[in-house]
Amino acid sequence: MIKQDIADLQKQINEKQMELDNLKEMLNTKSEFRHPSLTVEALDCLEKSDNLSNEQIGRYSRQLILPEIGVKGQLSLSSKSVLIVGAGGLGCPSAVYLAAAGVGRIGIVDYDEVELNNLHRQILHTEKRVGTPKSSSVASSCTQLNSLVECIPYHLQLDSTNALRLIKQYDVVLDATDNVATRYLLNDACILANKPLVSGSALRFEGQLTVYNYEGGPCYRCLYPKPPPPETVTNCSDGGVLGVIPGIIGCMQALEAIKICAGIDPSFSQKLLLFDGLQGSFRSIKIRGRQPTCPVCGDNPSITELIDYEQFCGARANDKVNIRCICVHFAFVFNSSL
Amino acid sequence: MVNILFFAKSRELSGVNSAQITVLSQCTFTNLLENILQQYPSLAVISENIILALNEDYLSKDSDVNLQEGDEIAVIPPISGG
Repeated sequence: MIKQDIADLQKQINEKQMELDNLKEMLNTKSEFRHPSLTVEALDCLEKSDNLSNEQIGRYSRQLILPEIGVKGQLSLSSKSVLIVGAGGLGCPSAVYLAAAGVGRIGIVDYDEVELNNLHRQILHTEKRVGTPKSSSVASSCTQLNSLVECIPYHLQLDSTNALRLIKQYDVVLDATDNVATRYLLNDACILANKPLVSGSALRFEGQLTVYNYEGGPCYRCLYPKPPPPETVTNCSDGGVLGVIPGIIGCMQALEAIKICAGIDPSFSQKLLLFDGLQGSFRSIKIRGRQPTCPVCGDNPSITELIDYEQFCGARANDKVNIRCICVHFAFVFNSSL
Repeated sequence: MVNILFFAKSRELSGVNSAQITVLSQCTFTNLLENILQQYPSLAVISENIILALNEDYLSKDSDVNLQEGDEIAVIPPISGG
């Protein structure tokens, strides 16, 4: 009889303990949530310092001893701001390394919420954050890693009405987007605001990386003056992507941005990196400098303000496809293979 | 004979990663592109949206091209996913 009582009590204790753990978890999730900006607000200038704090010296010691970085490079990093457009497969790895390295301020733009099918590649989001804004999720993860870095999430769709105002407030811009229209928008905005654009992209097993608009280097339009016909564009939703591919390209975007912020020349200005994860090859193509005839960065530009990029590309500024189509497709494939 | 490498969409459209093709040893960029399109007509749909590189060097659209046995031509459309 007493044994039974003890067992019952033990069971109750276990249940209460689980309840307590769940409540603690919810409290943590709530307190770590960063409310995103829904509009573009003016930011204070980043404070410049002549000295590193003891905390900074301890935290960054392994990169401070690199002669190419040193105290000067670290101070430069902490006085710079980077805007990451896209909190997905490229944005997650780039954000986490920029935060770890101690960039002063990181802005993260994304209009979307976390979905379960993002988690295989968008590695800063968590199962518990499904349904919450991606920008907040990335900002929370980066703040947890390095609270010295100011992370500003923007839950908005970047478009012709807000892009310039936002980009002008940052030193370096990362193109971590997933569609053609936003790539042309970002390119033109970076030319008009005179900011370097570290551009990455990934699909299936392949990735590409270039730094545009850096000290006489070309822009996206110099290389690709015409957008591709929409029906020839494959995105990750319908072409697929292995998560580690944007992981690798996103890390390289972070590397290029860190170098620019620390006062080191980037390696991929006027160079296009082609990564093939299936063949294990990295190729680096030398590309031409700024084109005098370019409609946006040329000598007599015809584009002097942002245009309608969805119209220009004939495609929406996102990579969403109808999930029901995918489910029907998979159901068909799986059933016919059984 | 030169080696031709296909990347991204051009790989999907041509159905191969690489091939060996015969092209004129001296020609213009336009001749070279036409020659490639003749051998891989499926690339026509993206012919205005690709970069061609010779031995990892960008070929500008107004350039003359001198090709030698074993040279490597890369067909590079942009990737936009991420």
